Amino acid sequence: MFFALTDEQRALAASVRDLLAGRFDLAAVRAVFDDPAGDGHPLDLWKTIGEQGWLSVRVPTEHDGLDLGLVDVQVIAREFGAGVVPGPWAATVLAGEAVLRAGGPEQAAAVLGPLAAGDLVATVALRGPGGGPGPDGVAVRATAAGRLDGIASGVEYAGVADLVVVAAIEGPGPSAAGTGPGLGLYLLDPTVAGVTIEPQAAPDGTTRLAALTLAGAAATRLPGSGAAALADLRRRGAVLAAADLVGLARAALTRTVAYDTDRVQFGRPVGSFQAVAHHLADLHVAVTMAEHAVLYAAHALDAGRPDADLAVAVAKSKANQAGADTTAAMIQYHGGIGYTWEHDAHFFYKRARRLIAAFGDSQWHREQVARLTIDSVG
Amino acid sequence: MDLTYSPAAAEFRAELRAWLAANIPARWAAPGFWASLDEDEAFDLRRDWERRKALAGFAGVDWPVEFGGRGGTPAMAAILDEELARARAPRSVNTLGLTFLAPTLMAVGTPEQKAEIIGPLLRNEVIWCQGFSEPGAGSDLAALRTHGERDGDEFVVNGQKVWTTFARRGDQIFTMVRTEPGSSRHRGLSLLLIDMHAPGVEVRPIRQMSGVSEFGEVFFTDVRVPAAACVGGLGNGWATAMLLLSFERGASAIGQYTDYLRAFEEIVRVARALGRDGDPVVRQELARRRVELECLRYHSLHVLTEVEQGRDLGFASSVTKLQWSQAYQGLFETFDELLGPDAALVRPTADVDLTALRRESFWTRSVTIWGGSSQVQRSIVAERVLGLPRGS
Repeated sequence: MFFALTDEQRALAASVRDLLAGRFDLAAVRAVFDDPAGDGHPLDLWKTIGEQGWLSVRVPTEHDGLDLGLVDVQVIAREFGAGVVPGPWAATVLAGEAVLRAGGPEQAAAVLGPLAAGDLVATVALRGPGGGPGPDGVAVRATAAGRLDGIASGVEYAGVADLVVVAAIEGPGPSAAGTGPGLGLYLLDPTVAGVTIEPQAAPDGTTRLAALTLAGAAATRLPGSGAAALADLRRRGAVLAAADLVGLARAALTRTVAYDTDRVQFGRPVGSFQAVAHHLADLHVAVTMAEHAVLYAAHALDAGRPDADLAVAVAKSKANQAGADTTAAMIQYHGGIGYTWEHDAHFFYKRARRLIAAFGDSQWHREQVARLTIDSVG
Repeated sequence: MDLTYSPAAAEFRAELRAWLAANIPARWAAPGFWASLDEDEAFDLRRDWERRKALAGFAGVDWPVEFGGRGGTPAMAAILDEELARARAPRSVNTLGLTFLAPTLMAVGTPEQKAEIIGPLLRNEVIWCQGFSEPGAGSDLAALRTHGERDGDEFVVNGQKVWTTFARRGDQIFTMVRTEPGSSRHRGLSLLLIDMHAPGVEVRPIRQMSGVSEFGEVFFTDVRVPAAACVGGLGNGWATAMLLLSFERGASAIGQYTDYLRAFEEIVRVARALGRDGDPVVRQELARRRVELECLRYHSLHVLTEVEQGRDLGFASSVTKLQWSQAYQGLFETFDELLGPDAALVRPTADVDLTALRRESFWTRSVTIWGGSSQVQRSIVAERVLGLPRGS
């Protein structure tokens, strides 16, 4: 029995944390946040990420990757969340997952090497405007010749991406249960004809989102893709988002504890009042549970455990709650200053809100939990 | 990452599972079986079964062999809890003795205490109660007033304890007593072992909101206790009590998880029988509770890993208590809310009898009080884990 991070994984977390704190602190985040017209993609940071190998974690050794698991990916994702770090790291890693799991050998050779080295920015476009995380949320159609038509919404870093993994309905579409053929994942070069990228305004300045309008855009199908591959990618996206959320939640809590240890009112530290202290204690319990749940979900996907579906739904639900509650508390327990633009609390709050909605919101994941645990009771 | 158990632990699980299959009558697992018994009848059945379990080698599995244990690992103890819950075995009637007193004696007991007490406790021949809480000393244990006056090589004990589990059926009680006249708070206390059948010990049952009288009050009137029946040194009671309570830390909650999953499924069956399991709001609420239960499972695996790595969890065990007690209580809050218009009835329909789940629902109101209330646990987490400044 060993359910914990290894010493190597702890060391990886510390090195990511230290490097991000040194190279991209909250002042640097603020510069990106306050420049919504900018591409939100600091190149120095991207170069560091490539050099450090943080994009190569999942890439097989034959493509110069580290061939590690999602457990290792979530170690890094937590630190990006803790630092509310901008940039297309998570989007690129997730696009890599699609190629890794559903791509043919030539696609893998063309994409994974450059991706691991940081020479390629990639992203995923899996749902249309207002669409949920399943096949019925997809608003792009593919012709038999591999031409894509339709709209994808909320695509992270589409503006700087060299490659987009697009989910598209094929023929009559998948069955009502969301299984079977009728759906494909396509590799799209966003510079080809028929692709329009329109930035979408969003409160979270630590990322950039865009709508992708496709009109007969030529793309290459990932041969192993289908409705199951989309579900697989959605699960992995949910774990990445949940990991970012727990890192962010832990940081929000730690920062709030530090502030309320120093801040004095009525002649004593604010954090010594039970009304504050007990709520922070409850948040510590919630964040701790979310951390364990994300770790378990990542491992369940790595190991192909039969309870992986449930584990992902549990992890995303719990991480959503931890992210929402800690960032709201961060504002509340900083008092007036926490409500200002000048303070950093809103970075955490707004990033949490984006991630909570990503790859299935709480209601969606709880219905998955219900489907898996209520309907199965004999 | 490795979620498998060692071959020795897996072998232990198989052996245990076979024994449980042969030694737990099928009717015990039926919902409502235990609630249908008279209290004394239930106690006798549990006590006798637990004795047989001990004789079969399934007690003290992680205790050293020299104390009659199996010398097993923390993983084996967790497996025992998990399999007992899965088999619907009744809960122990000697938990306080087994969890707290025995390891304390192993650590600081005299050779005579070790020899005379641990074996009979393990075999369930002697039922041990815990005498800590008093009417004026609940969460604030150091306010206790039960006192012992020295008289030769004996103490004469007077006072009152309360919330004593199985008081009516107990044989012995490990008791916090103020043995230094005029002392206050944490000083001048001793942990004394008192014979509950001795003259001057009187027990009065307390009926709980669930209707049963599992605990009671214990009154001491001029009870003579040998001074040698002290654990951990005279006047050193506070340190001994803290040591004793520390043995709850690091206990994996995997047994609780398994038991609460049983409750979850029973509640789902009730929801289905009442036609409520398709209601989207009910589904969301049940799922919310299930998320907390699954988190408890993952957390328990993590705790077990830490303990097996030899780490002391310290005050982080308060996180475990908060999670299991609130997840369990919350599950039954959802139970209460999904019953629909006839929620007030014992039998909302001809084929749904809520007696057992109701009793369990009432029981869950107690789990956030005993063993350190949620408020005490939150203060511990705030001050000792998060490092927030102490409240005044």
